[in-house]
Amino acid sequence: MKKKVLATLLVAAMALGSLTACGNTSNETANTGAESTATETKTDAPAESKGGETVSIYVFGNDQEQAMYKDLFSRFEAANNCKVEAQFSIKDDYGTTITGMMTAKNLPDVFYMGPENVKAYVENGYVLDMKPVLESAGLDTSDILGGTLGAYEYKGGQYGLPHDSSVFAYAYNKDLFDAAGLAYPDPNKPYTYDEFVEVCKALTKDTDGDGEVDQWGCAFWPNLMIQPWLYSNGTSFLKDEYKTINVTDPAFVEAMDKMVALTTQYGVTPTVEQEQGTGVYQRWIDGTIGFYACGTWDIAAFMDPEVVGFGWDLCAYPTLSTGETYAWCGTVGYCVSANTKNADLATKLAYYMSASDEAMKLESGIEGGASVLIPNLVSMANEEFAQAITDGTLKYPDNYKVLFNYLNNQNGYKSRFNDETFTPNAEWLNLFFEGIDRVRSGQLSSAEYCNEVAAQMQELLDEAYENE
Amino acid sequence: MGKRNNTPQKKRMSKAAFRENCYGLAFVAPPFIGFLVFMAFPIVFAFVASLTTWNGMNNMLEHFVGFNNYIKLFTDAKFWKVLGHTVTYMIGIPIGMFLGVFIAMGMNRKIKGIRILRTMYYVPVISSLVAVAILWAFVFNYDNGLFNVIIKAITGQKGPNWLGNPFWVKVSMIIFMTWKGLGTSIILYLSGLQSIPRDYYEAAKIDGASGWTLFKNITWPLVSPVTFYLLITGMIGGFQVFVEVLVMLPKGGLNYSAATVVFYLYDKFAANKYGYASAMAFLLAIFIFIITFINFKGQDKWVKTID
Repeated sequence: MKKKVLATLLVAAMALGSLTACGNTSNETANTGAESTATETKTDAPAESKGGETVSIYVFGNDQEQAMYKDLFSRFEAANNCKVEAQFSIKDDYGTTITGMMTAKNLPDVFYMGPENVKAYVENGYVLDMKPVLESAGLDTSDILGGTLGAYEYKGGQYGLPHDSSVFAYAYNKDLFDAAGLAYPDPNKPYTYDEFVEVCKALTKDTDGDGEVDQWGCAFWPNLMIQPWLYSNGTSFLKDEYKTINVTDPAFVEAMDKMVALTTQYGVTPTVEQEQGTGVYQRWIDGTIGFYACGTWDIAAFMDPEVVGFGWDLCAYPTLSTGETYAWCGTVGYCVSANTKNADLATKLAYYMSASDEAMKLESGIEGGASVLIPNLVSMANEEFAQAITDGTLKYPDNYKVLFNYLNNQNGYKSRFNDETFTPNAEWLNLFFEGIDRVRSGQLSSAEYCNEVAAQMQELLDEAYENE
Repeated sequence: MGKRNNTPQKKRMSKAAFRENCYGLAFVAPPFIGFLVFMAFPIVFAFVASLTTWNGMNNMLEHFVGFNNYIKLFTDAKFWKVLGHTVTYMIGIPIGMFLGVFIAMGMNRKIKGIRILRTMYYVPVISSLVAVAILWAFVFNYDNGLFNVIIKAITGQKGPNWLGNPFWVKVSMIIFMTWKGLGTSIILYLSGLQSIPRDYYEAAKIDGASGWTLFKNITWPLVSPVTFYLLITGMIGGFQVFVEVLVMLPKGGLNYSAATVVFYLYDKFAANKYGYASAMAFLLAIFIFIITFINFKGQDKWVKTID
């Protein structure tokens, strides 16, 4: 009899085990999806309820950011007598997990959304228009950086609030300028292309005399660094409301030619082969590159002397035919699930993280000194944030206003979102970059290459819109 | 005799037998349910998805396109390109087999430290694929990689751009994959060699057979079951190569010159083209099935057993 009971229990346990593996309580499903793909993903639900309502949020961030978010969630809980169920992951795993949550119809109340997803998320009914709640609760968005806030507007609705506003600015190595006896770039007067070439030539050297160049004027990772050249030449990848491929535009080809000539004609960048050996980012960190791109997210690392052991500062990208210096900007924002059971509280949490003084001060480093973003609030960025940099509380390069100039499109600086921000996917763009090294290594001219890939890019773009 | 007597009477199951059957079914149920939930359902789901342009967000069934994804795959030049790369990498399978059998023959003798040697050859098999792929990326590094440092020391010239050139990247991948799988080939061939009766060799030697004749007529035919197993598993694994490329060349190499079918499939998933990617996965499974079927059909002609 005992054996039978034991066998029955064993079978029951096995059956239960196999069935519970696909159990579907809301948190478990979400966690499984995330944890199976990311070692850094973890759930941080408080052990006991803090009373009141519960709001769930799923965001990505590094350890430093996660610590800040936890602090902010605690403050939000205390102020609103609620419980915040937070789940974190790393950036690379976020997209897959959130799509899985959508498929499982198990979205958290608040989650991240990029501007590129706004249309798809809204049209497929995943996110809520926050405008009614923002208005009824008197949550003011007028001080949020206009361009960034606008990235989350769609058909008159406000579907997201920015977490950050970032820009991919330009930086230079002061030590190399000093060694070459060159004057530092003037942030108020961007170089023309010819001036830039001359400076790069002066910075390109064989420092150890072994017959091989080992220091270069500049370096590129084209996927992220071709855009300023295109924009400054008055062109871009797409035209006609992001529906038509524009790479055969003479201005596009000319801009690409000028960028490529720095490698093939002037030899002021590492060659493609050299890049294969040691990547351009590493070469910049090693101090052998004069100019390199610097995102707002890079600042903290570049200010760390253990990472960047040379003097550096920000400057403007050189200008082409428009005479305007351009950088691309980016953002990710908080949105509220259309199926949330508590739209008011979820919207409040999104607003708190995006535009409250508390969150912005902590995340920008005005409070605490650790900066992971530039404040979304224009007044705070221009006043308290700038003051913290001036008085040394915050470590930023001297020309930090270059970032503000780009973000606010002021003082001759311009920034814009890249075209793929407005298309259903970036497959058409990835195709362009797949073979760009053939041009950079001199196998094809820019015009030949652009003509070769244009039709395929258009096909992929059309397909992306068809399957939207 | 009435009709009743002609009809076989259904045996009434005893209570004990019924209970035993129930226990049996209960024991079978967990793996069966596991198969249904984790294998059958995903397969059916993926097949249905392959007939749609589902992107993970839209309604799958509203985007039904029939066999369009499959038709499109046949005209997708990139698919055939990556399939070509995948097949090219399989050059490493026969290379690995020949190296494996010769090294196994060397190890199939009583020499000092043989166990350490065997272990060393097996280490790559049990090592993390990601870890060793990262290490090999260093080995293949154009500037400071081990290979190019050695080549420069010997010839004074810089070696090839292993991972940056469309031809050399394939050579690099074949070298890496052969190295990674060599341990398995050696161990299996070693067990195959040890199962060959010694008297076969002794009889042949009495007849004056040379070393090559022994290998050609005894060793190679009698390890053919191992060769067959390695061929089948090598080809199935070869069609599924992915991690090696993703780790060493996250963008698929210059002009996608290192990408494999599964890498392309992954790219399509990453672009939220779940329908198209599912169709590709199905087509790949069909290819693998056909190749395996052909291999099994052809085995009678060359696979010998001792019995």
